[in-house]
Amino acid sequence: MVRDIAKKEFLSTLRDSRFIALSILVLLLLLAATLVGLYSYQKQQEEREVAQQTVNDQFANSTERHPHRMAHYGSYAFRPRSPLSFLDFGLDSYTGSSVYMEAHRQNSANFSQAQQSSSLIRFGEMTVAFVLQMLIPLLIIFLCFGAFTQEKETGTLKLLLSQGISMRKLAWAKIKGYSKIVALVVAPALILVSVILFAQGNFEVNGDILLRFFLFILTYLFYFFIFIVISVVVSALNERSSTSLVTLLGTWILCCIIIPKASANLGSNLYTTPTKAEMDAEVHQEVAKGIDGHNSKDERAETLKQELFKQYGVNSLEELPVNFDGIVMAAGEKHSSKVYEEHFDELTETFENQNRISEYAGFFNPYLAVRNLSMGISGSDFNHYIHFLKEAEEYRYNQSQKLNYIQATQLGYGDKETRLSSDTWKEFQAFSYETPPARWALQNHLVSIAALFVWLIAVIVIGNKLIDKTKVA
Amino acid sequence: MNQFSTLLKYEWLNFKADKGLLILTSLALLAGLYGIYYGTSEIERQQENIAQLEIIAQENIEEMKDKYPGDADAGDLGYYHYTFAINEPDSWAGLSLGQRDLNPYYLKLRLLNLQSQIYDTDNINPLKILSGNFDLAFVFVYLFPLLIIGLCFNILSIEKEQGTLPLLLSQPIGLPIIVGAKLVFRIIIVFTLALFLSIVAMWWAQVVPDIRIVIWIAAICMNCLFWFGVTFLVAALQKNSAFNSVVLLGIWLGLTIIIPSLLNIYVAVKQPVPQALDLTIKQREEVHGGWDKPKKETMERFFIHHPEWQHTAPIEGRFDWRWYYAFQHLGDVAVEDLAIDYQESLRKRHKLANQLDFLSIPVNVQTTLNAIAASDLPSHLNFIRSATQHHDAIRAFYYPFLFNQIPFTHAEYQDEPEHSFMSTPDFTTANKGLVKLFISTLLVFIAGFLIFKLKGASVK
Repeated sequence: MVRDIAKKEFLSTLRDSRFIALSILVLLLLLAATLVGLYSYQKQQEEREVAQQTVNDQFANSTERHPHRMAHYGSYAFRPRSPLSFLDFGLDSYTGSSVYMEAHRQNSANFSQAQQSSSLIRFGEMTVAFVLQMLIPLLIIFLCFGAFTQEKETGTLKLLLSQGISMRKLAWAKIKGYSKIVALVVAPALILVSVILFAQGNFEVNGDILLRFFLFILTYLFYFFIFIVISVVVSALNERSSTSLVTLLGTWILCCIIIPKASANLGSNLYTTPTKAEMDAEVHQEVAKGIDGHNSKDERAETLKQELFKQYGVNSLEELPVNFDGIVMAAGEKHSSKVYEEHFDELTETFENQNRISEYAGFFNPYLAVRNLSMGISGSDFNHYIHFLKEAEEYRYNQSQKLNYIQATQLGYGDKETRLSSDTWKEFQAFSYETPPARWALQNHLVSIAALFVWLIAVIVIGNKLIDKTKVA
Repeated sequence: MNQFSTLLKYEWLNFKADKGLLILTSLALLAGLYGIYYGTSEIERQQENIAQLEIIAQENIEEMKDKYPGDADAGDLGYYHYTFAINEPDSWAGLSLGQRDLNPYYLKLRLLNLQSQIYDTDNINPLKILSGNFDLAFVFVYLFPLLIIGLCFNILSIEKEQGTLPLLLSQPIGLPIIVGAKLVFRIIIVFTLALFLSIVAMWWAQVVPDIRIVIWIAAICMNCLFWFGVTFLVAALQKNSAFNSVVLLGIWLGLTIIIPSLLNIYVAVKQPVPQALDLTIKQREEVHGGWDKPKKETMERFFIHHPEWQHTAPIEGRFDWRWYYAFQHLGDVAVEDLAIDYQESLRKRHKLANQLDFLSIPVNVQTTLNAIAASDLPSHLNFIRSATQHHDAIRAFYYPFLFNQIPFTHAEYQDEPEHSFMSTPDFTTANKGLVKLFISTLLVFIAGFLIFKLKGASVK
């Protein structure tokens, strides 16, 4: 009986030309979003790879330079996009793509896609995630709003129930039928995506990407299931199709349009973001209390000097077996980087506090739970961005310190003339960035994962209860 | 006319009795008030931050005075001392924040080469930017259409579904009059709400009262009329309520999200902006390469651009600030074409998007509102241009100290060029937007009338 009903729902939907037209439209959008996403992903990726290669070569083949000049010449980190981010751009369009890494200075990540766009981009981007998060739920609503109301309106519900099937069983039979339909709409696009993923990796299986893709699919399957159950339950609770539909559409508008924006705005109202100028000024203030890499007359430098004198048993800088310039610069870099890191972590924390509201709102709004999780899995969320920035900062710090070390050991005190050949620069490891593993990505989204599971259980338990309670007049 | 007012009166009674409609309208009112609060508070925060920048700049001057208690070398100041270029918000910006949250509204500038400084960004939370702003423009562009759809999707179908249509039609009135009266009633409600919110926002934000009040109200009202036209058009098809709600939401989704996102892709492909990374890389090569080129050659190249300093004391020794700032400037000169190209490409991109926005009324309305609030991309580019001029002014201020080798005394700080900029509203774009909006509105109503005429009244 259950199987028959599921089959009936499946077949009758396939006969509905309006639904077919809508499904084809959604499927086309999904396929288009896959290809467009891939195109812009590849283009950006290539652009950044070329740029990264260029600056790496420039560094390795740099002319003869004094090590501290080399530290100011610096490097760039161009952020490679995560392999799966062509499915979900997440924050990628809103985050800077290049960081200039030089001595004593932490620069901002510049040139985001959004800064290079007109206000169009603020209306949203056509990505696979967009279609899956916003359009498929609408399709589901359209598919399911009449699940029970139509049977009520035509009087067939009583007939069905007189066959001895319970409301609960009937509901699950319908859910099963609708799930199949949704799978039919989504499957072709997912197959295309898998083919693309394998082709990209030259048909070598990359475990982590595979795992991420699997999690991506799983997340959305849960999401669709939640929407199907909600829609069927709402339909069971309503007497008329039109009220059922309007209720569901209203819910969709609230979940997908209003709450995400309101919660993000609320977050930024509650936790004030300091400006970069303010932050830099504070860092500068705190560093000034310590040591200034360019100014060895400072107190700290004096202490350092005395310590070195003691250590080597000498009385003047010239007698030191190491170059004090390099030593003092290294100490300055260490200090200022530490101060900066503290402020950066504070800033990150402010942002995380702001974002937490959207995260916890996932318990009230499955869209937000899935949006956050999907970005995380695709490697385009806030955490991945910060991870990149931290890696870039670490690289910057190590590079500066390595150059300071060279200056301290290979150059004499006060030597501003000696230039080292490019052989020295070739020994430096170029900046390269790897997306962290899927496990790391998931750890950052425990709240969203919990929210998704709570939704999953809630719709089943509460849904069953509500359906049991419905009385058929 | 008497029938018309009777219809209006009964609509009002109906409306008062219908809790759903009342809730919907109250929600729109609340959303609007929140939008006003959010938008204006965001701009207030920007203004507070701008005020803070003045303090930071002052602190920097104090620090410089401490560091160089006597006469200072202007070269040292050029390196350690900074000023801010500021993009002041227009008084209207709180109503339509546009891109002001995304692009930095201030730049920290030193005498060093400009191109390594003007693309710096502020601390922004990308998730917040992705989610966008809940300002009044959002309420009008996104939520009012939904309100209108909610008020009107069953304007005709409900009379059929409740069986009241045959009764109504038994009176000597035509179907278009019935729909018209119901529509006029709803237009009055929505207009009242829109005007109320607009006036509250203008009063709250203390906007400069100029022609923009008229443009804003015209754009908002026409935007509402357009969406009434869409519901009228769909009502003319005389289908049931469920069909209407799906079709109307589909149109909303198409115009507000799907078409803009497709346009965004089209514009990005059609008008690529590849210069940014090249620019940043080349700029570094040029500036840092300056250290390795013979000083004489560098100075000769610099004097081509600044012949007025040609006959100053020759550069000698290992290091000279004049030479340093000369190659800093030459770094800017070397990428000037790329930089102009970059800015131009961005402007072209914006222009192309504007040309296509007749395909989506929401984009068109947003563009219009951003244009009058001076919060769009061109406004930011104008700021960049102004910041560039400010950097020129800084150079012009410091060069005499450097090249004539005059000591920089504490008194000089107050003569330093200051920068403040406010972009002017773009009335051309706004007026074009209004014209497009007017034509679109007219078209949907004409189409609606035609369909009504063709279909005739059917009671079932």
